[in-house]
Amino acid sequence: MSDRRTVTEDPALRESLSGLEASARLPATLPPAQFPIETLVPEVRQQTPAVGQRATRPDARLHGLGQTKYIDDLALPGMLHARIKRAGIAAARIVRIDTRAAEAMPGVMAVVTGRDVPVNSFGPSLQDQPVLADERVYHAGDGVAAVAAATDAIAAEALERIVVEYAPLPAVLDPFEAMREDAPRVHPPASNVYAHKIIRKGDVERALAEADRVFEGRWTTQMVEHVPIEPHAAIAAWDANGRLTVYSTLGRITLGRADIARTLALPVNRVQVIGTIVGGNFGGKNEISQEPVLALLAKKAGRPVKGVFTRGEEFYASTTRHPFFMDYKTGVGRDGRIRARKVRLVLDGGAYCSWSETTLGKACILATGPYRIEHVQVEAFAVYTNKTVAGAMRGFGAPQVCFAYESQMDEIAAALGIDPLEIRLANAFDEGAASPTGQTLESVVVKASLEQAAARFGWREPRS
Amino acid sequence: MSALRITVNGREHVLSAPPETTLLALLREHLGLTGAKLGCDVGDCGACTVLVDGQAVNACLMLAAQADGRSVLTIEGLATPDGLHPLQEAFERHAALQCGFCGPGAILSAKALLDANPAPTGAEIRDALAGNLCRCTGYTKMITAVHAAAQALRGAGAEMPPLGLTASPSIPLPGGEKGGGLS
Amino acid sequence: MVLDISRAADMRGIAATADGLRIGALVTHSELVRSPLVREFAPVLAEAARTIGAVQTRNLGTLGGNLATGVPSMDSGPALLALEARVTVAGPRGTRTLALGDFFVGPRRTALATDELLVDVVVPAASLGKPASFLKFGLRKGQALALVNVAAAVRVDPDRRAFVAPRIALGAVAPTVIRAPQAEAFLEGRPPTSEAMAEAGRIAATEARPISDFRASADYRRELVSVLARRALAAACARAQGAQ
Repeated sequence: MSDRRTVTEDPALRESLSGLEASARLPATLPPAQFPIETLVPEVRQQTPAVGQRATRPDARLHGLGQTKYIDDLALPGMLHARIKRAGIAAARIVRIDTRAAEAMPGVMAVVTGRDVPVNSFGPSLQDQPVLADERVYHAGDGVAAVAAATDAIAAEALERIVVEYAPLPAVLDPFEAMREDAPRVHPPASNVYAHKIIRKGDVERALAEADRVFEGRWTTQMVEHVPIEPHAAIAAWDANGRLTVYSTLGRITLGRADIARTLALPVNRVQVIGTIVGGNFGGKNEISQEPVLALLAKKAGRPVKGVFTRGEEFYASTTRHPFFMDYKTGVGRDGRIRARKVRLVLDGGAYCSWSETTLGKACILATGPYRIEHVQVEAFAVYTNKTVAGAMRGFGAPQVCFAYESQMDEIAAALGIDPLEIRLANAFDEGAASPTGQTLESVVVKASLEQAAARFGWREPRS
Repeated sequence: MSALRITVNGREHVLSAPPETTLLALLREHLGLTGAKLGCDVGDCGACTVLVDGQAVNACLMLAAQADGRSVLTIEGLATPDGLHPLQEAFERHAALQCGFCGPGAILSAKALLDANPAPTGAEIRDALAGNLCRCTGYTKMITAVHAAAQALRGAGAEMPPLGLTASPSIPLPGGEKGGGLS
Repeated sequence: MVLDISRAADMRGIAATADGLRIGALVTHSELVRSPLVREFAPVLAEAARTIGAVQTRNLGTLGGNLATGVPSMDSGPALLALEARVTVAGPRGTRTLALGDFFVGPRRTALATDELLVDVVVPAASLGKPASFLKFGLRKGQALALVNVAAAVRVDPDRRAFVAPRIALGAVAPTVIRAPQAEAFLEGRPPTSEAMAEAGRIAATEARPISDFRASADYRRELVSVLARRALAAACARAQGAQ
């Protein structure tokens, strides 16, 4: 790894070098004063007295000095720069791809398409995502071809010279439309509903029928991009023995390693994935994206290849938070106690499954909120649409359902004339309460937290 | 090619670069100064902030040729052989650096502010950092750090704190309230 | 080919001349904010400049650049239009001067020919020191594009207790930055009452031709015009009366 050293001018050093041909001996910029890296080495079998202590991050020193090396700060000798051509069309059959003009450009060292990918599918649970779309485009952010060139600018220009002919297909963009029997299939012949879960406890229909009041409502949340300030970046390099090293912003390197090996039809032990310091993840860097493409380009060119997403690609070619459509039907006693809650969730998963199953599961378990409810039914569907992929993002579905059940809680409180805090205290979990799936909960502090928060901001004081 | 004479972190460089070279590309690719980051390439995120003649600019929006004859300060030039700059020290101490990617830009924006205004108000700090997007810290820690650095620069220099865990039984909360867990 | 004009001395600098305040096209937004001349004779332009982008953008971005984009949501445009500024354009056929309102032709389109350059902006002597106010409404405070921005410049005749030469300019609500001539005509000669200014705001809203996009609906923008125009007029009016 070439680490081009950096930093300030040291007058003393400059003085000592006078008379010498300094530029022949020194890098363009001189190293500054030394700030040795301090690492924390935990003592074996010694309790770290962390509680009540103030912690600073061990990596903060190099961050503040600008010395932390993120992927885009690394350069391997002879390294090329990759760009990926995006489809720009939501659903289509690829009729042909002509890469000849791009390949003929000076400085272009390799071009690959989906046909070059040994096993053109991956995904953390369902392997439904192509590395590069070859026969069919599933959403506008799909890669259809990639270029490695001597500079990023040449690679970007080469993309313009790749001709892709599409035969447009009907796109399905609305999850409810996608759930209809007659809707176009995103991944034919598979159903557009690719994940389904149901949780039942008690007799929700009877309890709703017997409740004093029944509240119904729909809440929806939008697609959200993680927007890490560091875009997705990776470098792929092969050694002389045919082993692949991938430096990547990937958060889950062992999972990514298996996916990379699978797509390249390599034994896992031939792939090494090096996760470096990452400039923000938030769940958006939890699965591979361009890594196999870079590996294929690097193999074809015989040179290391780096790829860095543009800010645009961060929005349309990386994953996002699932938009949720949440129908809540809640039966309540006049005392404000919730007797029954029936929830239906529809997750717009976009073009591929990604981490939808995890999101769906967590959303289902949490959908009724931190409240004691005897009769519960939660049913959830994750649905394909020809849109940007939804995947992992902080909370995995928890923030979406929280928005729905707490919004409805406020509506119930208002309708019954009960204070919003009191209605939550009346229903909240206690120590040892059971979750909707029957898990016994420990260290439950919902009520204490609410009380403390209320005291802190003076909830019970008269409001003007 | 454009012939350039640029002072970077106190050292003069005579360079030639293609005319379309941005100042950011010049620093990162030609001089190996990777502290300024490419975050958006359109002047929104501020991760590429450097100081040109003392003014904070987005290096991704400035052509290298526009910096001809000028003096550029990057994050790598901020610390001295004597120690960290008080802003670096304060950002570290006040946990204003998490993933760290926006840190170099934010620190340099703060430096430009403190050079012109040694005792800024909270609103002035927020205005000075408005062009530096951060997804980790929520900005409050940065604002605290800039206040602390301003204080250190006005008074005695701050000592460099050790990294890791240090005994600090009372962590002041915003508003001066004493922190505490659930009781 | 890249042609760097950033050091063209003729296009830099701020100077008080017999014609008015001459501001070079290459003057940055930060320079406008700091300029003692601008702050004294056309402070509304400094108010508008300081809402543009962030510090980094204001340090690099120029007044000429802002105007030449022709973007309807620009912040310099309304302030200068309310002050009835003129622009100087130079090209191989010589130099011409035109009213700023004629410089804006359409969204991202100006009167500049492909071989012409915006050289400077002149705030005419008659507008120097004219009490004015600039208000901008964005989705957030930092680095926000205007959903709507409004500038108002007025004089108040203390003897007649009446508006003289009221000027209202609106941004982000039409294909270009525009004036609101009907609202101006309504105010001319009227006493500076809050009712009159509210009515002028309502009239200005009918003169706006906003679009609906992902930032805001047309109706919302029209409502903002009504409110912001009233507030900008009130602020300018207060300055006018405070100066007497």
